[in-house]
Amino acid sequence: MIWRQALIIGTAALLAVLIEVTLLSRLGIPGATPDLVVVTVVAVALAMGPVQGAVTGFTAGALLDLAPPGDTLLGINAVVYILIGFITGLAVDPRDRTIPIMMGMTGLATGAAVLLTAGLDTMLGSERVDWEQVPVLALSGALYGVLLAPGVILLVAWVVRKATPEILVS
Amino acid sequence: MFSRRTRILLAVLVVASLTFVILDLRGGEGPFATARNVVSNVLGGMERAAATVFSPITGAGSWWSSMRDQANQIDTLTAENQALRTELNVLKNDKARAAALDGLLRVASVGQYRFVPAEVIAIGPAQDFSWTVTVDAGRNDGIEQDMSVINGAGLVGRVLKTTANTATVVLIVDQGSAVGGRVAGTEEIGIAAGTGSQDSLEFELLDPLADIRVGDAIVSFGSKNGRPYAPGLPIGEVVEVKGTSGQLTRVARVQPFADMSQLSVLGVVTKPPREDPRDSVLPRGDDLSVVPSPAPLGGDEAAGDAAVADDTDATPAEPAAPEEETAAVPVESDAP
Repeated sequence: MIWRQALIIGTAALLAVLIEVTLLSRLGIPGATPDLVVVTVVAVALAMGPVQGAVTGFTAGALLDLAPPGDTLLGINAVVYILIGFITGLAVDPRDRTIPIMMGMTGLATGAAVLLTAGLDTMLGSERVDWEQVPVLALSGALYGVLLAPGVILLVAWVVRKATPEILVS
Repeated sequence: MFSRRTRILLAVLVVASLTFVILDLRGGEGPFATARNVVSNVLGGMERAAATVFSPITGAGSWWSSMRDQANQIDTLTAENQALRTELNVLKNDKARAAALDGLLRVASVGQYRFVPAEVIAIGPAQDFSWTVTVDAGRNDGIEQDMSVINGAGLVGRVLKTTANTATVVLIVDQGSAVGGRVAGTEEIGIAAGTGSQDSLEFELLDPLADIRVGDAIVSFGSKNGRPYAPGLPIGEVVEVKGTSGQLTRVARVQPFADMSQLSVLGVVTKPPREDPRDSVLPRGDDLSVVPSPAPLGGDEAAGDAAVADDTDATPAEPAAPEEETAAVPVESDAP
């Protein structure tokens, strides 16, 4: 049921982007904005597998750059999230998918997303990246990622089990 | 290691993303730009809907700080209070919006700016390093690229791009933003550039011998036809002067009047005043009350320029009366 999978991936990516830019970033939380998009990519990768994770990463990254007020280079977030989706899907063995391991993985992924995006932006000549702020943003981003992880991962896993029972992550 | 299908799919995704990057770096018009605008339009519409849904949560403005201050009180609240609290948040939201609109009206009536009011519905993630926000008014409301955006306290930014019903505003604190500014009172000009941090701008004076002090106010210099920045909008206050007089360049750190972390209702200036209002819309004193300038509003430019010198001194001589008068002036707005 490839269409059902595509529907889940598309909806998850769209909802994550909308909630991140219209709710989470407006709360004025110190440090980085809680990166719901990366957490969702990780959650789909864990529930469905690396390929679906990479597709979610591409979709969500492109949507985040296209949605107003996105003003970064279109495609940077997509590349970074493809990597994150694919690698987390591969790295975590389905047999050790306990909540603490998933939370740790999400923390690593959200922190890495900040570093990778800042690095790619700088390499492509963006002068906006302030490297003094990068460590703070990466650490706070990782912390918020860890906090968001259990809820998002369990919700996505539940939806995937209900809607696409054919998926057996190997 | 991976199946052929996996490898092909990964390659396709990565190549597609890199194509986006290259097309975006190249810029310009074309089918890609058109498709991109269409998608942005659709997403902008969805953001408006999402922002409405979340308004009870975000509308209170300082959600985070008030949560921190009231942590003790919240502990004592019971589940029964939930419904009441939601209602209260909605009321607070309306009140904050009313206060923000009041502030806007005051700035607008004094300087005779015409603006379209708009509310912030989305903010870019902090880790993107771009200080951009989306407001819920767009081309349909008469907003165009490169219009100035203000709030009750002062200049906020300029319109970067528009969709049918939303507009993206780049804030003056963005690393790539530069506003031509003028020191109120001394007429020294310079460039106020964003630093990427929300409470400071770097103001570089063009004249290294210029006199600038902590506490001086900076107003926008204005560009041709008021695009991208209309003249006379309050930018910020000097908080630190770096370098000594006579150095090749003198730089001052300026704190913006508008609090970039708490933007709610903004005004997009659709029409700047016919004449530069000079310093007359600067906040004065602690209460930030604004007193209208006694400068003549007539078309005579020479008279307007002559009035500049005593602008600052003459204003306090005016009693409270003109302030009431201002409040009574109906403000024209270009909103349909």
